[in-house]
Amino acid sequence: MSANTILDFIDRIKITGLVMVDGKNIYEKGIRVDELRKQVGMVFQKPNPFPKSIYENVAFGLRVNGVKDKKVIDEKVEQSLVQAAIWDEVKDKLKKSAFELSGGQQQRLCIARALAIEPSMLLMDEPASALDPISTAKIEELIYELKKKYTIMIVTHNMQQAGRVSDYTAFFYMGELIEFDETKMMFTNPKNTRTQNYITGRFG
Amino acid sequence: MSHLENELQKLKSDALRMWKTVQTQLEKGKDALTNFDKDMAREIAAKEKRVNAYELKIDRDCENIFALFNPVAVDLRFVLAVLKINSNLERIGDIADGIARYVIDVDTRFSDELLKTTQVIEMFETANSIIQDAATAFENEDTKLARTIFKKDEKLDDINVNASYVIADFIKNHSDQVRESLHILSMIRKLERVGDQGKNIAEEIIFYIEAKVLKHRLEK
Repeated sequence: MSANTILDFIDRIKITGLVMVDGKNIYEKGIRVDELRKQVGMVFQKPNPFPKSIYENVAFGLRVNGVKDKKVIDEKVEQSLVQAAIWDEVKDKLKKSAFELSGGQQQRLCIARALAIEPSMLLMDEPASALDPISTAKIEELIYELKKKYTIMIVTHNMQQAGRVSDYTAFFYMGELIEFDETKMMFTNPKNTRTQNYITGRFG
Repeated sequence: MSHLENELQKLKSDALRMWKTVQTQLEKGKDALTNFDKDMAREIAAKEKRVNAYELKIDRDCENIFALFNPVAVDLRFVLAVLKINSNLERIGDIADGIARYVIDVDTRFSDELLKTTQVIEMFETANSIIQDAATAFENEDTKLARTIFKKDEKLDDINVNASYVIADFIKNHSDQVRESLHILSMIRKLERVGDQGKNIAEEIIFYIEAKVLKHRLEK
C-alpha cells in the first residue's frame, strides 16, 4: 500500500489492519459512507475547484447536506473562506468563476470548500506540490493555523515540508509503514535505519 | 509571524530567561561574599541545577530547529550563536557556583581590607555589567553595545594580572587571613573568566547580526 492509498480508505479499497476514525472502525458493518465523508474533508494534489463561482464552490457541500437558509450559507461561506485565509482576496468577487483564481488561490478555495461542512479531519494529498514557492508557504502557514482546530493528515514527498508543518510523521516505504513518531524525533533521532537513510538522503 | 519566526522568538526568550538566571546567580555571589551570607551561597549552589536544565533545553531546541526548519542566512547564524552563547552562559553559571562554594568553605568572613585591596568587588561589578550589556545587546541586536564589552573585559584582565602580587603582599602582612586570601585569588581568576565568556558572547552577537567573525583577531 503506497502512502497515497492511505487516503483512499474512504473509498474502501482493501487494506490490512484497522482504520479508526473517532474511535470507530470504518470497515465495520453499518458504517454509513456518506456520514464518513462529512467527517473527513479531502484536498487533492491538483487544485480542483468546481466549474462554479467562488461562492458556489464553498456553498455546494452545505446545499448537498440540506442547508437551505441563505443567511446561514452566507455566514458559513465567509467563515470558511476566512479560515482558509483567502476571504480578503475574494470577498469582492464571490460571484466570479473559481477558475479566475491563481493556482494557490484555487487550492485555498478547495480547503475552504472542505472546511465548510465542518469535518473533524482533513486529508491532503500533496497539497502544495503543484504550487509556486510563495503559494506553498501560504498553504503551509494555513495548515499550521488549521491544525489548532482540525486533525490534518498530509501525504507529501517533501521531507522539509513534513518537518516544517507536522507534529507527527509516518514514513512509508514500498507500501509498508516503517516508522511513526513525533516529527522532531523522526528528524533528530529516528529509530529505524531505513528512516535515517531516507531523511539523510542516502537513498531516495 | 511564520512558524519558524515563532520558534526563533521562543528560543530568544528562553535564552534571555537563562541569561537573567545566570546574572542573578552572579549578583547573589557578590552579596554572599560581601555579607558573608552562607545561606545565600548555598542557594546559589542549589540553583545551579536550573541553569544546567536551561542549557539542556536550549541545546535541544536548537537541534530541533536545525532538523525541522533548515534555517539559512541570518536565521542560521542566530541559532548557531544561541547554541554557543548557551554554552558560555552555562559556564558563567558554573563560575558563580564555584565562587559560592568558597564562601561556604571558610569559617571567618572576608575582611573589608582584603576585599578592597584585591578589588574583587569591583571585578564582580564589572563582570555583572558585562553580562547585562551582553543581554541588552542580544535582545536589541545592538552590536555597538556588544563592542563595548571588549574594553570592559580589559579591566578584569588588568586586575587579574596583578592579583598574585597584590595577594602575596597582603598575606605577608596578614598571616591570619591566608586561606581567605587564597580563596579571593581563586575568585579573581574565575571572575576574569566571566569576562572571557562575556567577550565570546559579544563575538557571537556581532557574528549573527553582521556576519562578521571576530574570533582570534587582535582588533575588534
